[in-house]
Amino acid sequence: MIVGLLNETSGSAWGTYGACVLALVPAGARWLRVAQREHYIADSASRFALRWWTSEPANLALGAVALAGVVIGGLWPLAALATVAVAVVGPLHLSVHGRTSPLVLTRRLKTLAGVWVLCEGVLLGVGAGVGAPVPFAAAGLVAAPALVDAALLVTAPFERRASERFVERAADRLRRVAPTIVAVTGSYGKTSTKNHIAHLVAGSKSVVATPASFNNRGGLARAVNEHLAEGTDVFVAEMGTYGPGEIRDLCRWCPPQISVMTAVGPVHLERFGSEDAILAAKSEITEGAATVVVNADDRRLAALGSVLDAAKDGPQVVRAAVEDPNADVRVRVDGERVTVVVDGVVAGAPVTLRPGIQPSNLACAVAVALQLDVPLDAVLARIPTLPAVANRLTADTSASGVHVIDDTFNSNPAGARAALALLAAAAAAVDGRRVLVTPGMVELGARQASENETLAQAACEVVSTLVVVGLTNRRALLRGAAGLVPVVVVRTRSEAVAWVRANLGPGDAVLYENDLPDHYP
Amino acid sequence: MAEGTADLAVVFGGPSPEHDVSVLTGLQSARALDARCLYWTKTGEWYEVDRGLEASAFVDGVPRGASRVQLLIESGFASDASRFGRPRPLGVDVAVVCCHGGPGEDGTLQAALDLAGVRYTGPTVAGAALGMDKLAFAAVITQAGLPALPRALLDKATTDVGFGPPYIVKPRFGGSSIGISANVADLQTAVALLDANRHLRAGAVLEPYRADLFDLQVAVRSWPELGISAIERPLRTPRAGGAAGEPDILGYADKYVGGEGMASAPRELPAKIDAALADTLKEAAAVVARRCSVRGVTRVDFLSDGRELFVNEINTIPGSLARYLWIDPPVPFRTLLADMVDEARRRPSHHYTVEGADGTVLRGAASIAAKLA
Repeated sequence: MIVGLLNETSGSAWGTYGACVLALVPAGARWLRVAQREHYIADSASRFALRWWTSEPANLALGAVALAGVVIGGLWPLAALATVAVAVVGPLHLSVHGRTSPLVLTRRLKTLAGVWVLCEGVLLGVGAGVGAPVPFAAAGLVAAPALVDAALLVTAPFERRASERFVERAADRLRRVAPTIVAVTGSYGKTSTKNHIAHLVAGSKSVVATPASFNNRGGLARAVNEHLAEGTDVFVAEMGTYGPGEIRDLCRWCPPQISVMTAVGPVHLERFGSEDAILAAKSEITEGAATVVVNADDRRLAALGSVLDAAKDGPQVVRAAVEDPNADVRVRVDGERVTVVVDGVVAGAPVTLRPGIQPSNLACAVAVALQLDVPLDAVLARIPTLPAVANRLTADTSASGVHVIDDTFNSNPAGARAALALLAAAAAAVDGRRVLVTPGMVELGARQASENETLAQAACEVVSTLVVVGLTNRRALLRGAAGLVPVVVVRTRSEAVAWVRANLGPGDAVLYENDLPDHYP
Repeated sequence: MAEGTADLAVVFGGPSPEHDVSVLTGLQSARALDARCLYWTKTGEWYEVDRGLEASAFVDGVPRGASRVQLLIESGFASDASRFGRPRPLGVDVAVVCCHGGPGEDGTLQAALDLAGVRYTGPTVAGAALGMDKLAFAAVITQAGLPALPRALLDKATTDVGFGPPYIVKPRFGGSSIGISANVADLQTAVALLDANRHLRAGAVLEPYRADLFDLQVAVRSWPELGISAIERPLRTPRAGGAAGEPDILGYADKYVGGEGMASAPRELPAKIDAALADTLKEAAAVVARRCSVRGVTRVDFLSDGRELFVNEINTIPGSLARYLWIDPPVPFRTLLADMVDEARRRPSHHYTVEGADGTVLRGAASIAAKLA
């Protein structure tokens, strides 16, 4: 029928139609990659499409051309070629394959791609049905992100069922090995805290901790299936969440006896809406636990502790802190060293921690170790050997003599403030130029613009030049720094590094704050 | 799969503290042999993986693209994925066992392979079990008249061991140096370690601790004839700033961390020792090999102060299969492995017999009911 319709119109319409269908390949690959990078959350492709098409004037103009191509294509099919051209090249700077985070052809991605092709097919079918094949084919290009999201919605129940088998096997294994389960969550600090717990307990009990980023349903199941060996006494599970109900679901088949909450902050705010919603989602971890360890320096968590204390049949609450003098376990900072205080009594001599270890995370870990009946002496003996925490805020002097503070794995306001303080301290020592290189912070929802503006303002009190990377937060950062310090604007991280190489020398200091994967503008 | 090697499979991993080192040994051996790779997970599952993989592919667990395999007692290794839901035998005839520590080196895996009718390299059930039991091994050595430091069982009831402090406390079972406490001041402290150190749960042994002794190691192979390697003196890295109580002994990190396992650990090879001492050591190693019915490549570890020599322990499936020790005369890794495979084919690991079970007893027996009456 399509062929018939096209033949009745013209040969050029035929060619245009074919070009539209072919252009689906690069268009689809782009948004499928974004979906993969964004953990297959069903709205990610559309959100990022909006972000990209509005990221710069050129993309805005290209977007308008693509839309015009669809509309005019209804009257004059050749106009749809404009849409095809835009779909092949745009949005500008969003590559099809990806450099920092390439498209990986997993089973899940192939399934998603297949369903997306079916969705596009439906649209083409409708176009043929109503006698307007070309404009509908062009619309399929413009709507590719939305149709990727539709495919995500369609495949979600199937993916859930596919993972059910692994989860059942994991639940079975947990019952058989029967370790004491410790679950750790928090907006930040959960990975470090998990590793600290494993290290402190390892001398006395056999302990398995979930590997690096295995903190969702599939990852946790895999960690249990592949790492939880017979004879494990303690299993330390990191639990992450992108929305309400997720941690409750994890705790259903991986029920913790001890739950730990390290901090609540504006991370993934975009998904949750408010920090109270984040607290509520993370608090699900306390629901079945016999003992809950909270970071009492966190205002919200201290309040949660009081609520749990007041609850009938509530869990035992253990408060860990750096500042709070009334905490059950306190890691007091005395200059370069820290002192452990348990129930108000100083335990052991002050110790020096290896680089990158946050005292608040250590306090939570010590509290957990003591709850697991590891003798206090054994815990104290292992604190000096806690491995340094890699990739989070490291400072070093490069070959060219520039003092480099690397905080590229960080993306939250509190961490950025701490890193700026370190830059200020370093600057006091070296007395050279001080530069902040950052693309700003993301996933902060409605507060993203204001938080980045505040970051730029705070940075201007410390730095002599601000280097803004990429387009994602360019406007907010420029607004914050307006009239305060000179600003250099670059497109990518590597351009920023080149600028630093060319302009900074011995005695200068640079802070790299956050890095964004290349599916961000 | 290259011709003639389809029936060979390298077996590695397993629920052991030395799982990671075993992955290194296994991948090295699989490349040298062009054999199948059967990976045994920390949780006891089996997978076939690509032999071209690098060690880093195993960091998070089972590598991508692995396919599920089962070890069936009645038919050996079989693929889990078949069209009609029935396991399809892989046709593995010889397993090259590259497991270190735990059930891969203590006779458990060997027993399973015996029952499944899969031939394998390395120790038999009995040889593996003996090598893993420090107390039983010491008894065999002493009975053979070889020099060894006194070694006593350490349990809650231990009050007198017949030798004085300082002591070194070791797990009775287990391969690597994990769980060892050196320079223990007195028996009371040693007994207290039984509760504090989880590695001692299955049993512990006690020996005098002598800081003046250093390690000497030699490899022994059993096929085509008894062969003895060069002697090495492994070097310890000083523990600058180490925590109190960390022993100055050849540790797990010295042996395995930062390279290709044992093959890249710091060492003096050949060890610069007195020629007479070297001869004594090699003779002792040969006696150990015979007494412990060595099969495949075994490493025998000694302690010495440069004059005196003590047999310390035996490692029936050593890291990297001790391939780096065969320098004089040189034995290429491929030859070492090929000889082990040949031995696996020709020298059975077990002899089951039903001789005597000819029905006589059954025929002459009264009814069960009468026996129970």
